[in-house]
Amino acid sequence: MRLSLMPRDRTFFDLFLEAGQNSLRAAKLLDEMIGGWPDSRDLNREILKAEQEGDRITHDIIRRLNSTFVTPIDREDIYALATQMDDIVDYTEEAADFLGLYRIEAPMEQAQALTRVLVEACENLAEALERLRDFQGLEHYIIEIHRLENDGDRISRDAVASLFSNGIDPMVVIRWKDIFAVLENAIDATETAAQIIEGIVIKNS
Amino acid sequence: MSSPYAIRLAVVDDDSGFVTVLAKRAEAAGWQLRTVPGAIPPEELVAMKLNALLLDPGVLGEEAWDYLEQVCGMLPDLGVLVCTAPTSVGQRVRGLRLGADDWIAKPCHPEEAMARIEAVSRRHRAAKADLDVGPLVAGELEIRPDRFQAYVGGNSVDLTRREFELLEMLAESTGRVHERGAIYQRVWGYAMAHGDRSVDVFVRKLRHKLEKRSPGWTYIHTHFGVGYRFDPEPLAGGEPLAPSRSQAFHKLDTNA
Repeated sequence: MRLSLMPRDRTFFDLFLEAGQNSLRAAKLLDEMIGGWPDSRDLNREILKAEQEGDRITHDIIRRLNSTFVTPIDREDIYALATQMDDIVDYTEEAADFLGLYRIEAPMEQAQALTRVLVEACENLAEALERLRDFQGLEHYIIEIHRLENDGDRISRDAVASLFSNGIDPMVVIRWKDIFAVLENAIDATETAAQIIEGIVIKNS
Repeated sequence: MSSPYAIRLAVVDDDSGFVTVLAKRAEAAGWQLRTVPGAIPPEELVAMKLNALLLDPGVLGEEAWDYLEQVCGMLPDLGVLVCTAPTSVGQRVRGLRLGADDWIAKPCHPEEAMARIEAVSRRHRAAKADLDVGPLVAGELEIRPDRFQAYVGGNSVDLTRREFELLEMLAESTGRVHERGAIYQRVWGYAMAHGDRSVDVFVRKLRHKLEKRSPGWTYIHTHFGVGYRFDPEPLAGGEPLAPSRSQAFHKLDTNA
């Protein structure tokens, strides 16, 4: 067991836990919103609130980082993980916003498939963050997030390719290509967060 | 004088300079212009809801005459103009006799081409207006193409333009099952992207509005894995004096 001569602020782990739950909430709301679009457009407000909550959590982590002398894990890891968790919610909110801004008439099945992958990735990420303070039992969740990111890549590639069939409205192509890209970014952000967690575990176990 | 109508025009021509200038002028006039790479099937032209087609037979080569005959035969409401390099009298006569509405020899000024397209569209529009019959009646529903709206007992169903076009398209072929892709092509005017749920969403909205105004009837039926069928049927206990299906749907002649 590693001994520490200095007291370490464990609040960071609580804040990461909050960030994980917040990203999962935002992802679930987006999944529900896309599945029920256009009747579910009011959920955009809830997703915006989650995005603001994500900003608040990130701000709390960085403020605490600046005022803490000894941190439980490397400073750069705390900073990288906090910003990455924030990115997940930002991309989620961006995708929700695009539905309204681009005047999307109806959902695409591939977008629904991508939001389901995002929800699963966020569930695994939230579980991993819950176990971060012990630096143990995270491997399964990290592997699962990598697998989900691969699934997301495949769905997104197929979805974009399907837009380039002959005779499809160019406006549909432009709108959905952007939305698929943002959804893929959100899923990619979960993988980057998982990679940072993996690095933290290696350094601290 | 510019046309009071937004003309929907498709251009089959590989003369990029001419097409570019024409497209700019058409856009300025509020037209919708689509360039198509070659002999696009007549069904796709129907889906584009065009007023006119500007065709250079040189792009299609040997098939040009057959294609011209096929398009003019299948789409009598479509204004077809041939715009091509100088040709013999015999070729021009052949093209016009196959069904082309006008023949323009290149080089031609895009403004003149537009004026001729307008003239052809105007004539077709006038001819179509003479042929148009009155509202469709289906169950309790009165579908009024002249108002882009449907009514139940004189009350508007409050359909949007898209919802009305979907209802009109389905009601015009009552009893027939339409595949989702075919519905999308006819109503939206483009091919349906794989996974697009637009047809389902609009059918749901349409059903909701119809149920609200005409709760004793069901109009749109789902064929799982295929698409939808329009067939007005009274719900059990909803309409005691419900007519049979053949009675439930008929076209009214406003002139009668």
